[in-house]
Amino acid sequence: MREFVTKLNGVGRRQFLEYTAKSMLGVSLLPALEGAVAAAPAGKGGKAKRIIYLFMTGAMTHLDTFDLKPGHENQGETKGIKTNVPGKQISEFLPTLAGQFGTMAVIRSMYTETGAHEQGQYLMRTSYKEIATTRHPSMGPWIQQFKGRKNKALPDTVLISSPARHPSAGFFDPTFSPLPIGDPNRGLENTKAPEYLTDESFDKRIALINKFDKKFRDKFKVKKVQAYTDFYTQATSLLSSDELKAFDLNEEEDEDRDRYGRDVFGQGCLLARRLIENNVRCVEVTCGGWDMHNSIYNENTLPRRAGILDQALGNLLKDLKDRGLLNETLVVLTTEFGRSPVINQNGGRDHHPAVFSAMLAGGGIKGGQFYGSSDDEGHDVDEDGVLPADFNATIATALGLPIDEEIYSPTGRPFKVAHDGEPILKLL
Amino acid sequence: MSRKQFTTKGWLGKHPVAALVAGAILLSFTLQWVNDDATAAPRRRKSRKKSTKKKEEEIPRFLVKSKMVDESKLASALKSAKQIDRLVEANYSKHKIKPNPITTDEQFLRRIYLDITGTIPTYRQTQSFLVSRHPDKRKRLIDRLLNSDGYASHFFNYWADVLRYTDRLNNNVRGEPYRQWIKQSLAENKPWDKMVSEILTADGRIWDNPATGYLQRDSGMPLDNMNNTVRIFLGTRIGCAQCHDHPFDRWTQKEFYQMAAFTFGARTRTGGSDKRYYKNNNPNERLRKAFYEIEQEEEDRRRNYYRFFRLISINQTIVNDQVNRKIRLPHDYTYDDAKPKSIVEPKTLFGKSAAIKKGESPRIAFAQWLTSKDNPRFALTLANRLWKQAFGVGQIEPVDDMMDDTVAENPQLMKFLESEMKRLKFDMKEYLRIIFNSQTYQRQACFEEVHPGEPYHFPGPILRRMTAEQAWDSFLTLAVVEPYEFREFPSHIRTDILGVDLETISAEDLLGIDAKMRKAVDSGRGKRQRKYMYKGALLARASELPSPVPANHFLRMFGQSNRELISASSKMGSVPQVLFMFNGPITHMMLEKGSTMYNNVMKQRTVEGGVDAVFLTILNRKPDDEEAKIAMDEIKKSRAAGYGNVIWSLVNTREFLFIQ
Repeated sequence: MREFVTKLNGVGRRQFLEYTAKSMLGVSLLPALEGAVAAAPAGKGGKAKRIIYLFMTGAMTHLDTFDLKPGHENQGETKGIKTNVPGKQISEFLPTLAGQFGTMAVIRSMYTETGAHEQGQYLMRTSYKEIATTRHPSMGPWIQQFKGRKNKALPDTVLISSPARHPSAGFFDPTFSPLPIGDPNRGLENTKAPEYLTDESFDKRIALINKFDKKFRDKFKVKKVQAYTDFYTQATSLLSSDELKAFDLNEEEDEDRDRYGRDVFGQGCLLARRLIENNVRCVEVTCGGWDMHNSIYNENTLPRRAGILDQALGNLLKDLKDRGLLNETLVVLTTEFGRSPVINQNGGRDHHPAVFSAMLAGGGIKGGQFYGSSDDEGHDVDEDGVLPADFNATIATALGLPIDEEIYSPTGRPFKVAHDGEPILKLL
Repeated sequence: MSRKQFTTKGWLGKHPVAALVAGAILLSFTLQWVNDDATAAPRRRKSRKKSTKKKEEEIPRFLVKSKMVDESKLASALKSAKQIDRLVEANYSKHKIKPNPITTDEQFLRRIYLDITGTIPTYRQTQSFLVSRHPDKRKRLIDRLLNSDGYASHFFNYWADVLRYTDRLNNNVRGEPYRQWIKQSLAENKPWDKMVSEILTADGRIWDNPATGYLQRDSGMPLDNMNNTVRIFLGTRIGCAQCHDHPFDRWTQKEFYQMAAFTFGARTRTGGSDKRYYKNNNPNERLRKAFYEIEQEEEDRRRNYYRFFRLISINQTIVNDQVNRKIRLPHDYTYDDAKPKSIVEPKTLFGKSAAIKKGESPRIAFAQWLTSKDNPRFALTLANRLWKQAFGVGQIEPVDDMMDDTVAENPQLMKFLESEMKRLKFDMKEYLRIIFNSQTYQRQACFEEVHPGEPYHFPGPILRRMTAEQAWDSFLTLAVVEPYEFREFPSHIRTDILGVDLETISAEDLLGIDAKMRKAVDSGRGKRQRKYMYKGALLARASELPSPVPANHFLRMFGQSNRELISASSKMGSVPQVLFMFNGPITHMMLEKGSTMYNNVMKQRTVEGGVDAVFLTILNRKPDDEEAKIAMDEIKKSRAAGYGNVIWSLVNTREFLFIQ
């Protein structure tokens, strides 16, 4: 097996180079090897080497998490609690995070232009509006575009519990595609061949695929077919990799798994930590269930969801810190928009793009602070409004990516990692 | 043992059955596909024997009743198909496009099966079509497939994605009655305007009126529901106008609220004090009192409390119209044309106005307006959606984001398609019959890259990756002898127990419902499914599986939506997909004794025949000389295991996963 895989890796490398060459046509910047990083604006940022990106889909309520309005009628039932930074309060439903506020920068003046979930999520993940004529890449593939591939066997970006229509690698080449994991408890499945299948016969089978498929591939020289050919190469080299166990949560102690919470998001965050430790550069974990139109204070609604977030993120930050990884790992918590400050007649909150909250920690982010603010009602931005593109520009700058660099899509149109966003230098 | 002794020609013709049986028995001594999987084979055989011997208990199944297409309408369908071709060809010359050649029988066969029934054809279906010399065999096959239950299965998968159907519509309502109503409506070919009208005007409990499922899916979100309705059925996005005037389209926030005013009075729940439903007393109060009078341990009482009141809630989850409930503009409404918090009256977005009859739910007038032939976007949206189902690209893209200045790729054609949809009175099978009979559809798939956003002039359909459901169902066709056998559980068995008269039922009886349900529904689940389980996977058509399936299921891995957002499925590739193709249980199941694949090869008397059978089963075509030689060499060299290698490899080709 070994020998064969080395050979196949050769093919993989060659294909990779071919692809890169293709994607360079009309591209102004060469995807350089890792390490060749363009300077960040004003000498700020660039400390983060990895990113864990947590997306709360459904739209996380800002008034009940990070942007409390004590005493105002809009506040509802949520109370504030002290954090480990004097004078700063967050929601009582986030007690663990309150103890780690010192590492966190919370932006309370996010706003966006759409109150529709999928458009909002797309805009947040890509900095661009979703349009029919192109697909914009998400952050992980952008990093790979600028810094080159980090890991030979494992993919640079892993998406845990992500929706099927994640923007993913967008218009970039399929070699930039993130690897999706459906259920973190099961990790990467189907990596074991049946007992009877020897390495030799596996090699033979791969060779047979290529023989039988040659005519079809010659006939249909289109990207989506080539993409699959590439996934076959990637899958084959992954199968022989020792790093496969990075995906296996059974390698963790039971008590550690309990610590993160035995729910999909908790285990997703634990898996994210494992992957980061194994040289995966970008891990995104999605946590659904925030679309709280009805009975928001029912114990199964906000208290449960916030509890899941608190336990998982709290332990993630703690572990990263304890292992000395937090300085180089940017942890992002975001959502597509906020929820209406006025509680509706069903005891819930509706969609509210005018203001919401997001959080950054680690990776050189200056913690222990709130940035920007909403008005007294929690309805609009009061100070220092931050658009999704600005938020992404901040992330990109923390990662040391050149935010002004234009990259051309295969149809010849220029795009930037954070569109025309401006980084929040105060946080870097 | 040499297999040559079975090659005597003509023998098969004289005694076909005897030959097949003899061939199978003898070959089973010589062939061992995989080194040894002794456990799988006997178990399977044993269970089959048992089922024929003992009279098996009837497993309740929900079966659709399909309606046949009308023989007498074929001539007019063919005429319309020709008209499509003329309009497309006029466009070819205008844009200097060279049309693709007409598909071979093999290409057509595979594609039409996938496009109508959602799976590749079986070996037998492949053979019978390819050997037929009947001049009308394509037309006949199209009709036969439209008549089959596979049609409802495949199109259910499509609409379930669009409607974001979930088995748990909200906290109180399970969706099965709605799901089965969608399937049956498709199978009996209910006209689309009627189906949508039923969806939009339905009231009552879900088991009395399953179409209420549409509103229950958006329970408590009337504004989002309107946004979804306009997007799904009218191909128009007004969502932005929910919060402010639409930035790129002409809709104002007020217009959004005027639309929402039509359905705002429709509620998804009632309460015990609602006199329309409970004339004599408030059942909630009576039952609450009675609950505390039941003698039970304190611990049981706590446990039962939640279940008890949940059963009341479920029975009060009734879609109803509250005529006096009016929608108001938000308190922060910023435009000059109305005051914040002022009441908004219903008004249609475009087209004619809708006249609300006094004393009638405004939803009725709304549904009439929306589904009318006069509505400028209703027929258009459906005609375009179904066109895209056949060709992979819509005449208008995206199919659900039309604006006033949207122009179809071929406006004359789009106009014709829309008028056909109206002429056919929204008969979807008849419309698809026209499209599938066109030369345009029957052309070969496009070889070249089709860039999104660039105009595509339909030299043929585009090359498409199978949908997640098509891939799963095709896998099943290769592996399972009767993939259609397992069906979902008929919803009425559950709801017959669940639905009670709250005014008369005693607290004890209400509390007893859960136990009854366990006995009639839940406890039998394992037994119902056992026969169809393989290594943890339920071997049933995608349309029979839960919605959504768990995140690690094959279907999700291949891009099925989690049903949170409209049309959220994807056809992107990924490494886990490939790993599934390599090592997934179903891939290996098709190499075991008893699989369709295995049976097909076992019936062959020669290696040549075996190789043909393998290609015909997986790719629905015979191998060419070169491919046959590669396969033969492999089988000769590796003997039985060679078959396994060839089959595994063919399933892993791009040719298998893509629809030409």
